[in-house]
Amino acid sequence: MDGKELLSRLKRLSEIENPGKDIHGLTYAQFPGTHCPLMGAAMAVRGIRGAYMMIVGTDECSYYTKHMTIHSEDWGGLMGRCVSVTIDQHDVTFGCARKTEEAFAELMEEAAPEAVYIVTTCVPEIIGDDFDAIAERLSEQYKIPVMAVHTEHFKCENHMPGVERAITASFRMMEERPRNNSVNVIGQRMGRFEDTELYRVLRDAGVPVGAQLPSGCSVEDIRNAASAAVNIVVNDIGLPLARKMKSRFGTPYVFFDKFTDPEHIATAYENLFAFLGVPMPDELGELRRNAEAAVEAAGTLQGVPFIYGNTPFRCFEACGFMATLGMQPQLIQCHGIADADSEDVERIKAAADPYITQVANIAPLQYIYDELKPKLYLGHEYAERLRKKGIAIVHTDAGGGMLGFEVATYFAQQLIGATKEAAEINTAKEAEESGRGMTL
Amino acid sequence: MSLTRFLPVPSDRMGILWTLLNIEGSVIVEYGPAGTTHFSMGLYGELGIEQENRLFTTHMREEDVIMGDTTRLEKAILEVDENYSPKVIFVVASSCSAVIGTDLRGVCTMVQPKTKAKLVAFEQGGFRGDYSFGLKAAYDLIAGTLAAGGAEHRPGTYNILGASSGAYRCKADVLEIQRLMTEAFSMKCLCAMCLETSVEALEAMTGADINLVIRREALPAARMMEEKFGIPYIYGVPYGYRGTSDWLAVIGEKLGRIVNPKVVGELKRKTMSLMQYRMYSRMFRRDTMKAYLYGEYETVSGLSQFLSDMGIRAAHRISAHSLAPLELREGAEEITHTESEKQRIDILRGLERTLVLADDTAGRLISNTNTFVRISTPLIDGSQVATHMPLVGPRGADMIREYVDSYLNTLR
Repeated sequence: MDGKELLSRLKRLSEIENPGKDIHGLTYAQFPGTHCPLMGAAMAVRGIRGAYMMIVGTDECSYYTKHMTIHSEDWGGLMGRCVSVTIDQHDVTFGCARKTEEAFAELMEEAAPEAVYIVTTCVPEIIGDDFDAIAERLSEQYKIPVMAVHTEHFKCENHMPGVERAITASFRMMEERPRNNSVNVIGQRMGRFEDTELYRVLRDAGVPVGAQLPSGCSVEDIRNAASAAVNIVVNDIGLPLARKMKSRFGTPYVFFDKFTDPEHIATAYENLFAFLGVPMPDELGELRRNAEAAVEAAGTLQGVPFIYGNTPFRCFEACGFMATLGMQPQLIQCHGIADADSEDVERIKAAADPYITQVANIAPLQYIYDELKPKLYLGHEYAERLRKKGIAIVHTDAGGGMLGFEVATYFAQQLIGATKEAAEINTAKEAEESGRGMTL
Repeated sequence: MSLTRFLPVPSDRMGILWTLLNIEGSVIVEYGPAGTTHFSMGLYGELGIEQENRLFTTHMREEDVIMGDTTRLEKAILEVDENYSPKVIFVVASSCSAVIGTDLRGVCTMVQPKTKAKLVAFEQGGFRGDYSFGLKAAYDLIAGTLAAGGAEHRPGTYNILGASSGAYRCKADVLEIQRLMTEAFSMKCLCAMCLETSVEALEAMTGADINLVIRREALPAARMMEEKFGIPYIYGVPYGYRGTSDWLAVIGEKLGRIVNPKVVGELKRKTMSLMQYRMYSRMFRRDTMKAYLYGEYETVSGLSQFLSDMGIRAAHRISAHSLAPLELREGAEEITHTESEKQRIDILRGLERTLVLADDTAGRLISNTNTFVRISTPLIDGSQVATHMPLVGPRGADMIREYVDSYLNTLR
């Protein structure tokens, strides 16, 4: 593979007019490819205690999903809350409705779940079974909430729509409730909200937390979700549900993603406390100063070239932040560019004009490294392979469980650490090449 | 009986994939949504199968599903051919492409003149049955396209047909068979279809003296090679001491070779040592010695025979996969298969003081009065790392015997 040729197929950020068409993959043959929305739906239902996930799909879809849940305590392991209706040739021809209803009856008899998410996959969606109607019927028959979640992968690019659709489907369970001073947290996929800075700040300010969707709540918490004063949306996937709740219950929402720029984090805190009608806690001042100090230390990152892969952060917000630190984005792998990214896109363009490509295709990246010669790689890759090319990985997974100024502090520290590591790798590499050093 | 609570039986497509992923020098291009490929990494990693640079997906968008446009696939094939230079590209359908009826063979025929690699299409999308159907289809097509004859005759060699990396202890079993063949006949294995093999090894298969078929799914491939290239075959798996001895005798007879007397003597000694177990059955006042077996057809068949040599009755013999692709003759031994998970659960929950040879799911479901031995995938409680602990041959029999001894301690 020729790295130059691969890059020639890509557009630069300034050339992207229609993200759906202009963001190309590096190759047509991908490995490993993106995750599917079925997995996304599973990630969401995992965190909802008392709810079952019933997959309607091929043996293969069911197998891989169950396989993923088997060692999870949240799911209840092998005997847990992930079950399936596996479809065969007969079901493809005559439809899956009857089999689903039979399986549902068995599930009700054996487990009596409080709620069930019926998650469809590619094939039932192609053959066109009406799972919204099936869910409705089952819900009426068994007097429990039954939600249809559509997860056909050929209509979307990755797993995130699956998470989004599962949590949005939860709206069906919500009931009118008197308003209190609590907040719901919508869209946290990784980690426990109780471990975040945002949770500590809210707790210290006397603000109780209600439903946490999908990172840990019960069916009862979802039923009561409309009692919250504010919804805190910590990822785009929470926006459709937040909008529905605003429309039906009048619940306002604040967008509070894993921002890496202290300025953005401060704005999110200000919005949140304004909606809550509670004064900004004093401790936020100190948290902000700490984050800004960490960012100031990152001033040494001027000119460091990087490739951005898949991290828990907002892709363009994080790249925009790094661009303001003087770092050089060379290639950004993304799922797409949203309207909300426009300000960050401009920040990046002011510093550089990186190539843009789709995520989850690491095989051809090896040839790109030789061409672009980045110092840092953000995301999941094989560390040893990167080291041989003089590149250090910026580990960001722990950031998945953070919210607030802690994200900025952590991210700045990771960037500084990885840049030092890259320098060490390259020093050792040069020494080895000149025959006087140790082997990498 | 429509609810699946645990892991479903893997589909034909999954069986095809874990077979093809074992062939070095080949690449798989899946025509379907990328998520399935990514999701599969967990299982195939657990089976010890490398995927990087062996498996690619094209992904599939709505317009591909609606319009049936295969441009994406054609370009992916050309790209893989140019970038990785494999000898063979297996083009594998997904459930989506199978349902919409994509003509993968047609695409391969059209693209073939532009590629150096041989293109082989698998149109199974997971709807033709379980993995047993997939294995049969894979063995048929691999033998039909790669073992095409013209290979140099290599005297003193054999092939193993029917190795499936989805089967528990498959690698250890293949190594044990190879050890037995070396010790008994000083013969060398040319190719194990399909376990850690290569396109070259598959192409060289027709140079062997004999094919050893260890799964019924590989019988059509063996027959084809006998008819076309005159390579004889035997079907059987060496479970237990007597079973191993008989298996070697059949091979010896087929090849006109004498089994190494030292090997025969050792197996005879071990077979004799089982006589004591039959006496135990008369010593228990409360219990009877009985077993539940669940696994690959040949494993259930072979191990139940071995247990019978020890006086243990196989009360339940259940194949983990469909029996339909196995071409069983009427009156063949009674091994059943049920697609109903519920039936299996009911049987397992009713077992008491039974030797349960099965998969980890069964291990979780039975009461603690039973003795559990894992002989089948899927793996849930642990892993398989050791390659010196087979289920077949005298080594496998020794291991099973140790479990039997533990089991007997639980009986009164």
